[in-house]
Amino acid sequence: MERDNLGFDAPAPIGHPVRASMPEGAYSGPAIGEHLPDFELPDAFGSTIRFHTDRGNSRAALVFYRSAVW
Amino acid sequence: MSYDDTKALREFAEAQRINYPLLSDQDSVVIKQYGILNTLVSKDDAFIYGIPYPGVFVCDESGRVVSKFFHDSYKKRESPETLIDAALGHIQIEDDLPQTSGGESGIAITAAIRGGDGSLRQGIIRQLIVRFRLKDGLHLYGAPVPSGLTATKVTILGPNGLHTLPTRYPPTTPLHHKTLGIDLHVWSNEVDIVVPFYPAEDLATEAEVPLQPFASIDFEVCYQACNEDACLLPQTQRFSIELPLDVVDVPGLSIHRGHGQRESDYDSTPAMRRLIWRKIRSNPLRLLKLAWKTSRLKRHAKKHQDKKKTLVE
Repeated sequence: MERDNLGFDAPAPIGHPVRASMPEGAYSGPAIGEHLPDFELPDAFGSTIRFHTDRGNSRAALVFYRSAVW
Repeated sequence: MSYDDTKALREFAEAQRINYPLLSDQDSVVIKQYGILNTLVSKDDAFIYGIPYPGVFVCDESGRVVSKFFHDSYKKRESPETLIDAALGHIQIEDDLPQTSGGESGIAITAAIRGGDGSLRQGIIRQLIVRFRLKDGLHLYGAPVPSGLTATKVTILGPNGLHTLPTRYPPTTPLHHKTLGIDLHVWSNEVDIVVPFYPAEDLATEAEVPLQPFASIDFEVCYQACNEDACLLPQTQRFSIELPLDVVDVPGLSIHRGHGQRESDYDSTPAMRRLIWRKIRSNPLRLLKLAWKTSRLKRHAKKHQDKKKTLVE
C-alpha cells in the first residue's frame, strides 16, 4: 500500500494509471452557467434515457464516476 | 454514469439497492463529449482506458450548471447531501445530524456535520455547517474588515489527518459606515458558513481497519456582532463534535481483500472479466503491457521502501 502526496492509500503502486487523477488546470467540462450537453444512453435496466427529455423540468445531479466494477 | 455495461450496473444496483438511474457509457462517448476523459490513462493501460476524471454537475430546471465538483484526486468525493443542497439552493440541517450549539444572547450558533451519517471515510467529503441566527438589528462581518473589527471565521483545528477544502461564505451585503466613510461587508438574520473536510493519512486509511471507533472534530468560531450604534465584544468559541470512523465499501474483488475495507455483497469478478475482455479484444497485447507496467511500478516501490528501511537502520 503506497501513500500518495495527498495522504491517500490505495491497493496499487504510485504511478499506476488507476491512481491517475485530474492534473491542475485541466478542462473539467461545462462551466457554471453553461447548458449541459444532451445525450442518450441505456440505464441499468435496459431503458434508453434521453437526458433533458427524461429529466423534464427537474433539477439534476449528473455524476461521472470511474467504475461500479472496480 | 460510467463505462460499465448494463449487466454490471444492474447487478450493482440490485446489490446496493440503488433506485436512481445508473447510465452505461460503454464506449465513453458521453465522457468524451463532456471533455472529461482521463487522458493520463493511455490505450495501453488496457481495461482502465475510457474512465473519466470523476466529478459531478448539478443543473437547474433549464439544464444549466449551478454547481460542479471536480477534484485533484479521485479519492475526494462529495456526499450526496451536498449535491441535494446545491440543487435546492439551501442547506438542510436535520435534527438527527451530529451537532452542537453556542453563541450568546441574540446570536444563536448551531454547528452540524452534513453528509451521510457524518462518518469519516478516506477521501469522502463531509461539511461542517456553522449557522448563525441573529436578532434583528445585529450583523456580522465578512473579510476584509478595518483594523479593530473582527471578521467571521471558522477554523477546524483537528484531529490530525483531517484536511479542509476552501471555506464557503455566502455573499455579504454592503453597509456604509458613516464615521469611517467606508463600505463594510455584513451578514444579517441567518448565515451559513461551510467548511468542507475529508480524512486522509492514518486517520482514515484503506490499509487498516480503524483502531478507534470515533474521532473528535475540534473547531473554533470567531466573530463580532454589531448593531447600528455599537459593537459587542469579539468572541472566540471552541466546539467539538464526535464522528464515527467507517471503512470504505468496495466491490468484492481479490485486489481489495485484506485491507481495511468492508466487503460488500456485490462480487464484481464476472463483470471485471467482461470489462477486460471487451477492452483487449482489439489488441490483446495491451493487457500484457499493463501487467508489465504494474510489476515494474511494484518493483520500484519495493526498492524505494527497502532503501528507506536501510537508511533508518
